[in-house]
Parts: sequence; structure tokens; C-alpha cells
Amino acid sequence: MRSSPFKGEVGGGWANLTEQYFIPGPQRGYDMSYRITETCNGCGACVKLCPVGAITGEKKNLHLIDSLLCIDCGACGRICPVTAVKDSFGIVCERIKRNAWEKPQIDLKTCMPCGICIETCPVNCLAFAEPVLLVRELHAYPFLKEDKRCIGCGFCASECPVHAITMSSPSVTD
Amino acid sequence: MNGGYMGKILWVDLTVNEFREEAIPAEIYEKYLSGTGLAAWLLSERIPTGADPLGPENILAFVSGLLTGTGSLFTGRWMVAGKSPLTGGWGDANCGGTLSPAIKRCGFDGIFFTGVSEKPVYLLIDHGRPELKDAGHLWGKDTAETEEYLIAESGGHARVAVIGPAGENLSLISGICNDRGRIAARSGLGAVMGSKRLKAMVLNGKKRIPVYQRAEVQRLSRQCNKWVQLQPPFISGPMAAYVGTIMRILPTQMAMEGMVYKILLKKWGTVSMNQMSVEIGDAPVMNWKGSNRDWGIRKSLSVNPDAFKSREKVKYHCYSCPLGCGGVCVTKGPYGDVHKPEYESVLALGGLCMNGDLESIFTMNEMLNRAGMDTISAGGTIAFAMECYEQGILTREDLDGLDLTWGNAAAMITLVEKMIKREGVGDLLADGSLAAARKIGKGAESYAVHAGGQELPMHDGRNDPGFNVHYYVEAAPGRHTIGAQLYYEMFQLWKRVSGLPRPPLFYHKDRKYVADEEKAVMAAACSRFMNVANGAGLCMFGLFLGAARIPAFAWLNAATGWRRTPEEYMAIGAAIQTLKQSFNIKHGVEPRSFQVVDRVVGRPPQNRGANKGRTMDIEKMRSDYWRQCGWDPKTGHPDGEVTPSRPSH
Repeated sequence: MRSSPFKGEVGGGWANLTEQYFIPGPQRGYDMSYRITETCNGCGACVKLCPVGAITGEKKNLHLIDSLLCIDCGACGRICPVTAVKDSFGIVCERIKRNAWEKPQIDLKTCMPCGICIETCPVNCLAFAEPVLLVRELHAYPFLKEDKRCIGCGFCASECPVHAITMSSPSVTD
Repeated sequence: MNGGYMGKILWVDLTVNEFREEAIPAEIYEKYLSGTGLAAWLLSERIPTGADPLGPENILAFVSGLLTGTGSLFTGRWMVAGKSPLTGGWGDANCGGTLSPAIKRCGFDGIFFTGVSEKPVYLLIDHGRPELKDAGHLWGKDTAETEEYLIAESGGHARVAVIGPAGENLSLISGICNDRGRIAARSGLGAVMGSKRLKAMVLNGKKRIPVYQRAEVQRLSRQCNKWVQLQPPFISGPMAAYVGTIMRILPTQMAMEGMVYKILLKKWGTVSMNQMSVEIGDAPVMNWKGSNRDWGIRKSLSVNPDAFKSREKVKYHCYSCPLGCGGVCVTKGPYGDVHKPEYESVLALGGLCMNGDLESIFTMNEMLNRAGMDTISAGGTIAFAMECYEQGILTREDLDGLDLTWGNAAAMITLVEKMIKREGVGDLLADGSLAAARKIGKGAESYAVHAGGQELPMHDGRNDPGFNVHYYVEAAPGRHTIGAQLYYEMFQLWKRVSGLPRPPLFYHKDRKYVADEEKAVMAAACSRFMNVANGAGLCMFGLFLGAARIPAFAWLNAATGWRRTPEEYMAIGAAIQTLKQSFNIKHGVEPRSFQVVDRVVGRPPQNRGANKGRTMDIEKMRSDYWRQCGWDPKTGHPDGEVTPSRPSH
């Protein structure tokens, strides 16, 4: 038999991924996830929005969130018309109109720019600005390229080391 | 719960198209960190002795850093590791760009490939689900083209690592690209990927990266960023060369302050050193036989830093980098917007071959990036061929009619093209200078400038002997990104790690060439520190800020929740160094077998130029280094379980 690195049990052991792919690792950071309650009417609004495809369910039936895929972005909670989603602390999420969802405002004076926000965004709605929009010498700065895709999760703001991003709903800024 | 790492890796067996996840115990991260440390541990255990580097038993590892994605700065490096087909021993390469966070966001600290695929494939990870897809239609396409195609196909936002035609053709000097031309070039790992018929790796991950104390990591980042943003207006590009001249003429040397280099990097990028390095004597000229007298300020004026800056359209930042030493330049050629060539590429394709034609450097750099070939090794190999041609070892017929005289840019471009396609003489040279010299015979080997088979980078050990030490003692030989006396001064490790010597502010240059114990302490400290950095995914240019300004150790503690002292982290670095050395010995690469090229250590010394009369006792320096690592000073073998000795001072 061909020698293979697949031998031997190391630490947490093996899982054959061809049968069942997802195994909980010993160091999973986000074991808690959002959950859908019985109130769910199976409209499917959250399924379309979930950036990681964690929600499954038949139309007009109770939907389910895969806790191993959920990244706690909270989009399902904000979109749900019947407030059937509980967050990781068990608190029922409040429904917010899509056009009132918070969006990132980037302060270019504080921005380094390092690109952490762009890589953090789960829906890839941030991008480096085209050179036309440059504000300082040759550095490209991030901007909200596709604001319709933004789900208002605020990951960009929380991961920005220099606090250059603030989340605010359009009604406040307009 | 601790943080910083995802806690598992992905195994991909290309032979049977099978995926497995392996949970890595927390103790391993505590012992070897993530990144190359993790890879060194796994590869040492899992690659069987005598495995063919281009066969199914070799493992190709893509690993991310422990600090990547935690909110720390300068931590966007991803590392590739495997058994190197170029040197036969431990091989790793290191690259910036945006791939490193993408690996972790797929939920893994590393992706390990084994086996050989029957037909060309690429790996796609979408929503955490891995899949091997057919890459037959992509085989033969260049890296930029392939990357664009794969990004578009997978939704427009994927991060991609890819090999070009050089890797496919198993050129032993090929690398792995991402971000349209950032390349993990060294150790010939592109050929390993090519041998597995793995064209690319497409990552579409969205997982969050756990951090123990994100606020603390961010607070440290803000402090560090203040130093990065400190940028006074500076002198012009051509004038920078004269700073080098002054440094050359003065008999004393000032301990290098990394902040100065940071200012240069932020303004110009690595090309800031183009002319200055030649002037100081840091850059080898004319296949290492020339000096600043052969390629003086006037000849090299065409590649002065401002020549590159004037073409720069926008600065390029790797992930989590506030500095942005890269750039996107506009060229008139067929390629349009290209990555700004790096210092190493400019000198390898410029000064080393006496080529001062800027346009040709841009062209060759882009050709090599798109082919996925190492610019350092390609430049070194061309310079070797040029000297062979000059000496009459290679004739015009051997070179397919090319008049390969020093500085013939047109002939160089044709030769690069041949090397990429493995046509005619290109087939001979595509595996690097040592392999070519062995085939040519006729004493050509004395003109191949290499360490263990790998071409040397553009830092002359006759100017800074520290480079020479690392060229010949590292498990992956011939590398400039580990240590040097200059780097030691810039790292300023003595400010954080107790027991390390502090160099005097001013000292006589002759001091550098004395092979005393202190040099070995400095070299060992550099190796250990860079092992920690490669485990954490840290960029060397960030570390040049100095240990007091870039909180590498504090970041590690805040991100993982460990409470370690800098000395303990240095001990981890030493353990990784021993792992890599043992890897080489296991695979039959004797540490002593990295034969020193006489020219490189000044035997005989040069009779003119910046490094006139300089020579060094490299054998003693090497032996001192081994002793400092706690290894046998005669053979370089680690004796069993080595407990790293704390530097004694």
C-alpha cells in the first residue's frame, strides 16, 4: 500500500469527509449561533440573505440554522418578518426595515489603509477605491462598493484596528 | 477558549480525490505555533524518508499565520512548505497578498496536499466544502489569466493561489502565485504543485477567526501604526544612491535603524535600495565577480527608485499592512498594469546581468510572474549563462544563436521565454544554474553561485557576512529573509529578549568580519525570531520597525491567550529550527553538504570596489552557529531532543 499521511490518530482524530464533512473541532471559536424558533413561517427571506448558506428548510416549513456554519452576522434576525430568530444569547431579534440597516462609514483620515475590512466582509461589499477616488498619495482606500449587498453585520467596524469605521443607519447620515 | 488558530487542517489526497480534516491538538500550537512551525512538525512526521520531491509521497502545505486575521498588523503572509526538489531537503517559501486570511476563513490553519492527480485539477473551497474540479482547460495558461478566470467563475471574490507554465513544466525554480504576481517563489515548490497536477487553489471562506482579546490586539496595532505613519518628506531617488556612497567611504558603520528603512519602503518600496545597495557593496554585480566599479551610479541611474515611482499608478498593500511597499505600475508593453518589480528582481535581472534597460526589467519581471518562475533564480541562472558564454564554455550554437553578452537585454528576454517554455537551451537552464552546470560540465560549476542548489539572492555576504552565514546554515539554503547582521540591528531584539547583545551605535567596519561568538549569537537569534515570525505570519518589513515598536510577542499573547515571555517564544523558534534541520538529515541532506562558493565569501578577495580585500572564515562562523543552536559543531546534527540553550551573555 502506498504510504500516506492519512495514517495514525493524532489529537482529535480523523473524520471521513466524503460521508460527513463537518466535524466540530476542539477549538471552535463560535459554538453559539443564531437559532430559528417555532414562529417561523418558512418564507425563505433569511435563506436568500445568509452569506454562508447556513439556513436550510422547505418553503412554508420550519427552517434550521447550521450552527457550525453560522458566523453570527445577524442578517436573518433583521430580515425575519415574524421575528422568529434568536441570537446567540437567546434574545429574540428585532425586525428592521432593510433600508434602515446600519452601513459602514469609513473615516479616511484615520484609515491606514490595511484592507482588513475588505477581507472581513462576509458579503464582499467593500473594495479598494479606484485611483480616481484617491485622497492621499497613491494609497487606495476602501469604500462601500455595493451598498445594496451590505447586510449591516458590522464585522468591518469591529475588526478595524484603528476604529476608522463606524456603523450608522442611513437615516442618521442622510 | 483560546484564539488565533482555527484548530484544524485540511488534507487533500489528489490520487484518490479524498478530503480529510485533522484536528490539531492545542499543545502543537503551543509548541510550534502555526504557519511554517506547524508545517515543519507535520512534514517531518508524514513525509517518508527518501520520498521523491516530485512524487506522490511529498506533501505540499499551504499554511496561514497564527496572527493572521486577529487584528494585528503586518500579518498577511502565507507560507508554502514541502520537500524541495531544488535542494532535496526542507523547502519553504513565503508570500504576501490576500491568500493568508482566506485559508483561515475557510476554517483551516493549513491545507495539505498529497498524492498526484491523474489529470489537471484545482481545489475549490466554497462555504467550507472542498471540491476538486477539472483544470484541463486552464493547463498552460499563465497565472494572471488563470486567476482572473477562476475568480470570475467562483463568484468574483475568491482568493486564488496558482502555478504558471513554469510550475507545470516542473522547472525547479518555479513558485506559486497569488494576487496576479505576488509569488512564493523560492525552494522550487511550484514544481511540486505542478508534479501533483494541481493548477490552483480557490478559496471562498467566510468563517470568523477567533481572537482571545481582540481589543488588546487592536490597541497594540494602533500603537504600532503610529510608527508606521511617521513619514517625513524625503530626498529624491537618485540622491539616495549617494547615501550609499557615503556609507561605503566611511570607515565606521552606524547600527542600522529600521525606521530609516521603513521610511524608504513606504515611499518607494523595496526598489528604494536599488542604487544604494550597489554603492554600499550589498548588491552583487556581474554574477558576483563585479562591483560598484562595474555598475556605478551612472550606469544604474536608469533603475533608480524614482524611475519606478514615476510609473506607479496606485500602491499595493498586502492584507493587514499599513505600509504598502508594493505598487501597481503602468507599462507600455503588452501587459498593461503590472506589479512593481521588487528590489531582488530588479537587481537579479539588472545589475547581476549588467542590464540597465528599465523596460526590459519590467517585461521580464512580468513574464516571470505570469509564468510562476522565481526572478532571483532566473536572474542568477541567466548571469551564470552569461559568464559561461564569456568564458567560452557555452558557445553561440549552444545558446541557440543568442549573443548572451553582459547586459544584452533583448537576448535576456528571449532566454527567459525559452526557460519558461523549456525550449532549446531554456530546457537546460530551467532547473537553475547548478543543475545546468552539472549537465554542461567543462568546469561550469565554478560559475554557478548557489547554496545547496538554490541561487543566492541579491545581498552580498562580502559586505554583510551575516547573509553568508544564513545562506549556508539554514535548512532551506540560500535565503535572504532570515537573518544578517543588518537585520539583527534592525530587529532590535535586545530591547525585548534578555541576554542578547546590543550592537554599539558606531563601530569600525572590520568588526563585521571577525568570526566571534557574538556573531553566532546574533545569527541564531535571527533564525529563531524569523521562525516565530513565519509561524505567526508576520512580514519581515514590519519587524524592521524594531522589537520595541512592533509588538510581535505581545500580539501573540493577546491573540492566543497564552502568557509567554519573549524568551519562551524564542525557544519555540529554536525548536522549529531544529525540526527543519532534522528534516534535512532525515532526507539525507547533510548540513555540511551546502558547499560554499568561493567567490561569495571572498576567496580570493576582490581587488576593487566596495568589498575590496574582504574575506571571511565561513567554516568557523557556520560551526559557531551550530554550536549556538545546541547542535554538533562539526556536523550540524541536532543530537536527539535538543533543549535550546539560552544565549549566554
